[in-house]
Order: sequence, then C-alpha cells, then structure tokens
Amino acid sequence: YIDFRGESRYNRDFAASVSLLPSPFSDKSVLSAVSHPVSSRRTKMDWQGQKLAEQLMQILLVAFAVVAFATGYTIGSFQTMILIYAGGVVLTTLVTVPNWPFFNRHPLKWLDPIEAEKHPKLQPQQPSSSSKKKSSKK
Amino acid sequence: MHTFGYRANALLTLGVTILALMCAMASFSDNFSLPSPSAHVQVLNVNWFQKQRNGNDEVSLTLNISADLQSAFTWNTKQVFVFLAAEYDTTKNSLNQISLWDAIIPSKEHAKFSIHTTNKYRLTDQGSNLRGKEFNLTLHWHVMPKTGKMFADKIVMTGYHLPEDYR
Repeated sequence: YIDFRGESRYNRDFAASVSLLPSPFSDKSVLSAVSHPVSSRRTKMDWQGQKLAEQLMQILLVAFAVVAFATGYTIGSFQTMILIYAGGVVLTTLVTVPNWPFFNRHPLKWLDPIEAEKHPKLQPQQPSSSSKKKSSKK
Repeated sequence: MHTFGYRANALLTLGVTILALMCAMASFSDNFSLPSPSAHVQVLNVNWFQKQRNGNDEVSLTLNISADLQSAFTWNTKQVFVFLAAEYDTTKNSLNQISLWDAIIPSKEHAKFSIHTTNKYRLTDQGSNLRGKEFNLTLHWHVMPKTGKMFADKIVMTGYHLPEDYR
C-alpha cells in the first residue's frame, strides 16, 4: 500500500516549501523541521501490525469458540456456549479493530527529505531512475 | 487489514462463520444421545359412537395418556412436540392415521406426564368401517432442536377395540 503519487507530490511540495522559507539556520535544520511525512495519515497500522491484527483475530475467535463449545457441551447448556462466544467476539473486537499503538511498532521509513530534494526528476513511470543511479551527482 | 472498516468486516465474517460451525457441531452431537422413552395409553371410556349424516363414523374417547420422554431432551433441544394417533386399516385405505391429541413439552421437567383427557381432535372415519374395529394407538414425538436436525420417533401400542354397535 505505497502511494507513489502521494510520495512524489510530497517531494515536490516539500521542495517548493523549502525554497520559499527564509531561514537564518542551515539547510539541514530547516529541512528537519518539516520532515514528518504526511503519508502516515492513511496507514495508522504498519505491515507487521496488520499481520498481527489478523493473526490475533483468528486465534482469539477460534480459541473462544473451542472453550465455548466445550463448556456448553459439558454443562449441557446451549445458552452458556453462546454467551461465552459472544463475550469472546466483543473482546476480540476491542483488541484487534481499533488501531492501537502496539500495531504500529514498525512504521515504514519514508525517503529522507534531503535525498528526495536532490532528485527532483523522480517520476512514477520511471522507477528505474532511482536515487541509486543519480547518487553520482553528489 | 489496513483500515478500521476492513478489520471490522473481517471480524464479523469470521465470527459468523465460526458460529455456524459451532451450531453444526451442536446439532451433530445430538446423534450421540440414545433416548429411552416409555409410554402407556388406556382407553377409559367410549363416550359415544355415531354414524354422521354424511355417512362417516365418529367416535369420542376418554383417554389416560402417560409417558416419560425425559431422555429425549439434549442440550440442543428447544421443545418436544408429542401427539397420539389412532391407526387402523380399512378396505378403502391400507393405513388410516388420525391424530387424537397433541402437546408441546417445553422442557425436560415437563416431559414425564400423565393426563386424563377426551380426544382433542375428532376421530372420524372415511366411511363407516369402525364397528368392532381393532386399532393401534401410536405416540409420536418430534424433538425440535435449537439448531440443526430434528429427530422423530414413536411407540406403537396395540390391542385396542371399538365396540361392535353404535352408542
């Protein structure tokens, strides 16, 4: 789920904003002040977190179903089985559906702003023209 | 799993699928119950025995029905529907089944019963074949589940006779 359009748009906007800002500081400190990428606004869970959420959801639901069935069958109460399972569904919802912080422990590292600004010709249809090739310009 | 809506949908779908599987297993577990029911019916009195204007025989009985269907209840039983049928044959029909009485047993506690009643539904023949007729009284029951398959069974009681003449 990487949005190339967003990334290049960010880079262009960023480069434009840097040139307009008057600053007594060095280039590096100005860049770092506006360095947090807006791309994080869409994915509040990182890849590892999404996988964890899916696994937790499956394991929790199956575990509660097994416990619910075993208890209901042993006691001889259908209602008990349904209640235990319903409780399990609610708990699983609370654990896996909201985007808790522990689902975002491995956030993606976007391109460093200094790198991006050095290669303004970075286009989505030319993925091969990457920063690696142009690093000789440094 | 990238958005709230996606995860909520996934959880709902998986949750309902697992619930369906649990209900299927609960229904399957009913196969392992071996009920041992018992029943006894007494015809206490033949109240009247007439030939109707349309030519059909009709009889009214007072019955004492006692049965123990407690072993038919499982953890997956919603209720047991029980009915008593009179069965006999005639030249016109090889089998006549006439429901005389029925009831719903809502729980195991109510499943052992003994009642004294006249027939709830009319015992009317197709024709006038009932004089001196020998018939069976069969107690049928349907075990209606909370989920899944319904089981039905019966007990046949033989040796009942109707009077030779109208009363």
